[in-house]
Amino acid sequence: MINFFGIRHLSPAGAFYLRQYLDGIKPELVIIEAPNDFEDTVQDIVRNETKPPFAILAYTQTVPVRTVLYPFAEYSPEYQAILWCYENNVRLQFMDIPSKTFLALSDMKIRQAEQADEIDEDEQRPDVYELISEKSIDGSHETFWERTLEHCENYEAYREGANLFGENIRAFSEKDGFDAEETAMREIHMRSVLRSAVKSGISPEKIVAVTGAYHVEGLKSWETEEELPEFPEIPSLHTLMPYSYYRLSTRSGYGAGNNAPAYYELIKDGLQKGDRLYHANAYLSKIAEKMRENGNAASSAQVIEAMRLACSLAKMRGGNIPTLRDLRDAAQTCIGEGSFAAISVACADTEIGTKIGELPDGVSRTSIQDDFYRLLKELKLEKYRSVTSQELRLDLRENLRASTEKSAFLDLNRSFFLHKLRVLGMNFAQLIGNTQTNATWVEAWNLCWTPESEIVLVESALKGDTVELAASFQIKETVEQAQEMPVIAKAVDDAFCCGLPTAISYAVSALQAAAVDAVSFEELARTAFSLSNVISYGDIRKADCSAVEPILKQLYYRACLIMGSACVCNDDASKAIAEAIDMLNSVELAQGFLETEKWITALKEVSSRDDLNTKLSGLCTAILLERNKMTNDELKTEVSRRLSKGVPADLGAGWFEGLTLKNRYGLIARLSLWESLDEYINSLDEEEFKRALVFLRRAFADFSANEKDSIAENLGEIWGLNGAQVSEVLNAELDEAAKEMIDGLSDFDFDL
Amino acid sequence: MDNSILRLPAEQLFEEELNALIKAEKDPIPEGWRMSPRSVKTYICGGKVGKTVITPKYIGHERLVEIAIATLVTDRALLLIGEPGTAKSWLSEHLTAAINGNSSRVIQGTAGTTEEQIRYSWNYAMLIANGPSEEAMLKSPVFTAMEDGAIARVEEISRCASEVQDTLISLLSEKRISVPELSLEVPAKKGFSIIATANTRDKGVNDMSAALKRRFNIVVLPAPETLEEEMNIVKTRVEQLSENLDLNAALPKDEVIEKICTIFRELRKGETLDKKQKLKTTAGVLSTAEAISLLCNSMALAGSFGNGEISDEDIAAGLQGAVVKDDDKDGVAWKEYLENIMKKRGMAWSGLYNACRELNE
Repeated sequence: MINFFGIRHLSPAGAFYLRQYLDGIKPELVIIEAPNDFEDTVQDIVRNETKPPFAILAYTQTVPVRTVLYPFAEYSPEYQAILWCYENNVRLQFMDIPSKTFLALSDMKIRQAEQADEIDEDEQRPDVYELISEKSIDGSHETFWERTLEHCENYEAYREGANLFGENIRAFSEKDGFDAEETAMREIHMRSVLRSAVKSGISPEKIVAVTGAYHVEGLKSWETEEELPEFPEIPSLHTLMPYSYYRLSTRSGYGAGNNAPAYYELIKDGLQKGDRLYHANAYLSKIAEKMRENGNAASSAQVIEAMRLACSLAKMRGGNIPTLRDLRDAAQTCIGEGSFAAISVACADTEIGTKIGELPDGVSRTSIQDDFYRLLKELKLEKYRSVTSQELRLDLRENLRASTEKSAFLDLNRSFFLHKLRVLGMNFAQLIGNTQTNATWVEAWNLCWTPESEIVLVESALKGDTVELAASFQIKETVEQAQEMPVIAKAVDDAFCCGLPTAISYAVSALQAAAVDAVSFEELARTAFSLSNVISYGDIRKADCSAVEPILKQLYYRACLIMGSACVCNDDASKAIAEAIDMLNSVELAQGFLETEKWITALKEVSSRDDLNTKLSGLCTAILLERNKMTNDELKTEVSRRLSKGVPADLGAGWFEGLTLKNRYGLIARLSLWESLDEYINSLDEEEFKRALVFLRRAFADFSANEKDSIAENLGEIWGLNGAQVSEVLNAELDEAAKEMIDGLSDFDFDL
Repeated sequence: MDNSILRLPAEQLFEEELNALIKAEKDPIPEGWRMSPRSVKTYICGGKVGKTVITPKYIGHERLVEIAIATLVTDRALLLIGEPGTAKSWLSEHLTAAINGNSSRVIQGTAGTTEEQIRYSWNYAMLIANGPSEEAMLKSPVFTAMEDGAIARVEEISRCASEVQDTLISLLSEKRISVPELSLEVPAKKGFSIIATANTRDKGVNDMSAALKRRFNIVVLPAPETLEEEMNIVKTRVEQLSENLDLNAALPKDEVIEKICTIFRELRKGETLDKKQKLKTTAGVLSTAEAISLLCNSMALAGSFGNGEISDEDIAAGLQGAVVKDDDKDGVAWKEYLENIMKKRGMAWSGLYNACRELNE
């Protein structure tokens, strides 16, 4: 009889007891449930420099890319079995279907799901793990597993428990459907591997098969000869890659990962130390330690109390050893004073942790990694691949003293490269905001290498074989999924920064398609703004912007046409629109090929209409003034019209507020404006004045003291006063009566 | 059971259930307790023992009940914190009823609570006549709890003055009470503990000192998580209460309970249940307990002045009082709720809407 050891893929007790079990059996051959084409990774897995967590990633070479990922932590039973074989010089074999078949199956599954996307939810049987959660006293299958199996006292108990667990899960699982077929196919394959192992002359007693607890029952019938089905295949590749506890924790669900890797590592430590409460003590102490690190109080007394509470919680559930849930609840009660929020950060640190795996140099090599390291060398960036962060300033202009074209544009090429990494989401390169405004040729980056960067890089292999291909793929994907126009415009910008002509044309045509649909004025303006940036920067990046110009023109005309109707809004909405108007103005100023006349007409329309948001009308007037499209006389008429007696004071003051949003110095310098304002104020009666005063005060609220002084001087000049005297009066302390009057304004009732 | 008593203590009201649990006990019983921690949980959260059905006393958040019980198994004191009406006192009463069979060792914390009320005071006539003696001593509930190895309850602890609260520190850490007048030291027997309750709305009135807090395990009782849970609580409690109070009215229908709970939850959270609309919240808490008393009140109205069926008018009267407490703003929030939310909910709500609107005109 072959010796089966049923496990869960990430299980400290499984890993620990499996070793004891192997020591006891002393097998000649160990067979592990893992794709059999992964056997070539073993030589790298056993190397000293390999530090878990790591993963084996298999991916298809064809589009759409499908992947399977096999993560390993130090407490993976499979990993310990591999190490054991290496240490004891015992033969090792993998028995699962090859990854290319896995990928083919998952491809078929996804396609099937896409075709029949409307599955009746009611008809789906409840997941067997949900059933366990429901039935178990702990209300969660994770806790159930931990309490019953991770805290087993010896390997016999674990092995029997796990096998029984697998048997039961099997009995309650779906008997038909795609997953069941896949399982059947895998088990046929595994049985055939077991059969041929025995046939090769090893006695079954000297074979240990390490497999998921679920499969133990299915593999017991290995002796029966059966015909192998045809295994579908997709061309694929696989590689080892470093992994992190954080990523492990986000892949919850049976087999793929667990949600508290750092905590499970504590259980593993406890098993090795032979201290069955080690994990509980360590967990609570670590929480207290993290709390203190974050500046919160957490005393040893609290840890002791939490420990006692956790133990008595475990007892209520019929256990002796607290589980994660008991511990967390105890920590919340005793250390967090009843609130989980107080300990949540410490909990995340203690349960998930920040551990990142390592692989020896050169082991994890996908084509994109090769490309990345080649480019790093070519662009002389190798010294930045270190864990201390370094700043890099790039001058994108041609270096005229350089001898070759390559070195002349070194910085530009570096910029392209770093932008591609940024698009791929690698945290290696962070763009620091431009320090020098409008210097389109300067770029500052912060470069810092972390193992996490390597992980992202390996994962980018799924997007393309080179950094360039991956970045284009990413941009295309962003464009395809984009719901809003500004997102696409951002993608166009990205494509320019990366210097990817094909991605540019793709994104631009997507933008054109999106622009046909109705979009709001603000979206148009924001999109136009980022396109205008692209065009301004295009020159320095040696990019051809001719494709962008027509679409910018289109957007610009549309924006000009709908600006009038967009200005019908309340004060809350007006802020965003004011920004949009400002953006559009700068677009028009920056791009010479746009028809200025259209913009001026639009501005004049908003400026002169009375039925729009007065603040926005004021802003347009201000822009017209700034661009010298309005004479002093025209302004004077406009001021007196806007501020005439019949107009409600809030509207008048709102207009004035809009007027002051732009170019204040220009306004302050225009004496005629202040004359009109003076006339307006003089025309008001007492009650109206009070009302206007409040609004005007708001309009001038964010003027600086200097600006206010200049305004006062202006008014003084109009009234024929001496500047020094005015200043003296204005800067004197308020007397009681004046104070009272101003305070009285706070109670002013605007509804009258 | 004596029917003339307005409100029976829990241990008498649920005597049968308690006896059944004690009889069927299989697990080890902690010293000073009447049943095992597991049976206490069954008593509180409901279940079945032999043929006796145990009614649930606290619905939802079973884990919190477990933590509370597990706390009392260790020698730590338990502090229940929550918004008003989240069943803090209710839970503490039932815990002591199940553990000791006596929920009456209570000190009600008020601004006027003195240190003597927590430790002991004297029968002054006897004190003056005979001098200090044990007979002249008036022992506080905490004192007797220590002597008997039982649990004492301190309600609304945060309403007591800080120095009074701090009296508990030495009691909880030394686990003994000293009477210097008689040179007497009374050590607490095993099983002694304290369950205190505190209100989150009272935060800042008399905040508990860190030293005292440290001696408690703190369990925060939240408002019911889902509408179904809250309806379940309201329904169970209204049934129990109306039995005791002889209200002569039919129990409220499910849709009535649903309406009340919906209104309370929405106003409490400041948004509609489907999260599509923001609302003004009221200054009052609108707790589950208030929903229960509102329905009992409506039943009393229907029983005494109506036809025994709760009508929309009966509920409207109760709602008005519950929602609009003393603040003008509550009135505004309520009116807005009526016009913006309730009015648009269609036929099923129109009766209640009209009844409420009439009261607001």
